[in-house]
Amino acid sequence: MGITIENVSKSFGEYLAIKDVQLEIPSGDFIALLGPSGSGKTTLLRMIAGLESLDSGKIHFNGVDYSNKPVKERKVGFVFQHYALFKHMTIFENIAFGLKVRPFKIRPSKQEIKERVYDLLKFVQLEHLAERYPSQLSGGQKQRIALARALAVEPEVLLLDEPFGALDAKVRQELRHWLREIHEKLNITTIFVTHDQEEALEMADTIVVMNQGQIEQIGSPDQVYHHPVNAFVYRFLGRVNEFCDSDNEISYIRPHEIALKKSAQGNSVPAKVLHVHSVGSLVRIQLNRLDTNALFEAEINTEKYQEIGPLKKGDLLYASFSNLVVFGNEQKEPLTAIL
Amino acid sequence: MNTKTIAQANTVSLQGLKKWVLIGIALAFLGLFIVIPLIAVFSEALKKGIELYFAALTEPDALSAIKLTLITAAIAVPVNTVFGVIAAYAIAKFSFRGKNILVTLIDIPFAVSPVIAGLVFVLLFGSQGLLGPFLEANDIKIVFAVPGIILATLFVTFPFVARELIPIMQEQGTDEEQAGRILGANGWQMFFRITLPNIKWGLLYGVILCNARAMGEFGAVSVVSGHIRGMTNTIPLHVEILYNEYNFTAAFAVASLLAILALFTLVLKSVVEWKSRKE
Repeated sequence: MGITIENVSKSFGEYLAIKDVQLEIPSGDFIALLGPSGSGKTTLLRMIAGLESLDSGKIHFNGVDYSNKPVKERKVGFVFQHYALFKHMTIFENIAFGLKVRPFKIRPSKQEIKERVYDLLKFVQLEHLAERYPSQLSGGQKQRIALARALAVEPEVLLLDEPFGALDAKVRQELRHWLREIHEKLNITTIFVTHDQEEALEMADTIVVMNQGQIEQIGSPDQVYHHPVNAFVYRFLGRVNEFCDSDNEISYIRPHEIALKKSAQGNSVPAKVLHVHSVGSLVRIQLNRLDTNALFEAEINTEKYQEIGPLKKGDLLYASFSNLVVFGNEQKEPLTAIL
Repeated sequence: MNTKTIAQANTVSLQGLKKWVLIGIALAFLGLFIVIPLIAVFSEALKKGIELYFAALTEPDALSAIKLTLITAAIAVPVNTVFGVIAAYAIAKFSFRGKNILVTLIDIPFAVSPVIAGLVFVLLFGSQGLLGPFLEANDIKIVFAVPGIILATLFVTFPFVARELIPIMQEQGTDEEQAGRILGANGWQMFFRITLPNIKWGLLYGVILCNARAMGEFGAVSVVSGHIRGMTNTIPLHVEILYNEYNFTAAFAVASLLAILALFTLVLKSVVEWKSRKE
């Protein structure tokens, strides 16, 4: 199902959560709403589900105005951040719920419900848990059951609110691949909310970067990462160094784009090593520019590090900043919490 | 043994001493104020033999008091259960202006002396009261009649269910209800399949306490009852009348019913607590 969001706004009391948002989601797309907390991404997701009303604007499903339709007519599946499984029901009953509450005329028979639930349990590979209660499941299992429950009613859109937020890193990684596979199998329009840029880049076909209730950029992971339209997107999508020149103009560069050499070359800048730490296959080096005294971070792989290293505090290197990015007319923000 | 271990042994035995002194004080207090009076009730009631005990309970005035108490509880408990659930639902699951005022209002019956509560009904519905002339003109009797007793009991027992449920419902939030809504449940399905099963133990607990109070209430009921034997006496009022007539055996016999109710309530309460902890 294709979704069109037209000039939608929403405020909670004085607080403007969504400001005049426009978004076109083609059918079958796998889309990430990416932004910091308070950017309005969850509110937008809940508005699509019908859990929040719109103050103004319209939401169309396949060209039909659904702005004021009640939740249950929308054919959406929703996976909540903390799963919201029904505590007092078994896993079987949780998944069957959406079918059992249907009006008598369109309710499947008991046998059909049973078959459907077991199909879904098989689909999420948790058949053996049918008679358990949610409190007996691990986080990853709960997440998969929450998804099975959402899929039981055969939704045309799948909405996920921070689907992996509460899971540990390893399970999160597994489930990312798994959700991607499920999307490929079912090919239903899927929208998920995340504040984790890596998650968005890794999973989504389209990323919608949000900030302060507005959309900053819409594009493929490649587009938003390599061609950010403004400083916010650039800063939010990865680690970044900021340099402020004498005209107060800020230029940006990602740590891995900085080339480090042992000897001066072209217009390279001398810099002193402050700190070295390796993270898996990468080495991150904190340096101090000797010309402007600015601090920055460079990132190189271990092979490169073996070429120029080992480094210790106080070593002198030459850095070239060939890919500096400058965005026009923006407010200057402090450098805190970016690195 | 060196001095250090001796010191340790001393602290250990001191700790043990402290523990037993505290337990002893608690037990002595309980014995003095709860267990002994409870035994006294039953021993006084059975002092003159089991026949007299049952005679006191089956005498027409006593039966009428028991009946009225049961009727009162049978009306007050369900009504306050329904209103308690509605109030708790509204407070816990919605945000609206004046919510704090509503919470405070629910607590009023706890804060006000029951005698004042009874008096309010007399002032409102009595013949000198605000609505008195209207009620008399239409030949409706509220004060010094059964409706007054039920009203007073309703007032006094209102907070029990709501108070019990509000924290439980607030803690549970609205996630499960929202999930139910998205899966297509209507309001009734949501309430009976999601909300109610989640609060059932808390609700039962509130109902038990509400019932105990409804049957045992004295102050408010005493003011509105008028103490008409065989007509507007509940069990607690009947006990008082018997006692004032120096009919101690009968008074204690009827009082033993309330004591049995209290014991039964305690057992039920423990069962509910045990069950809800298990889940």
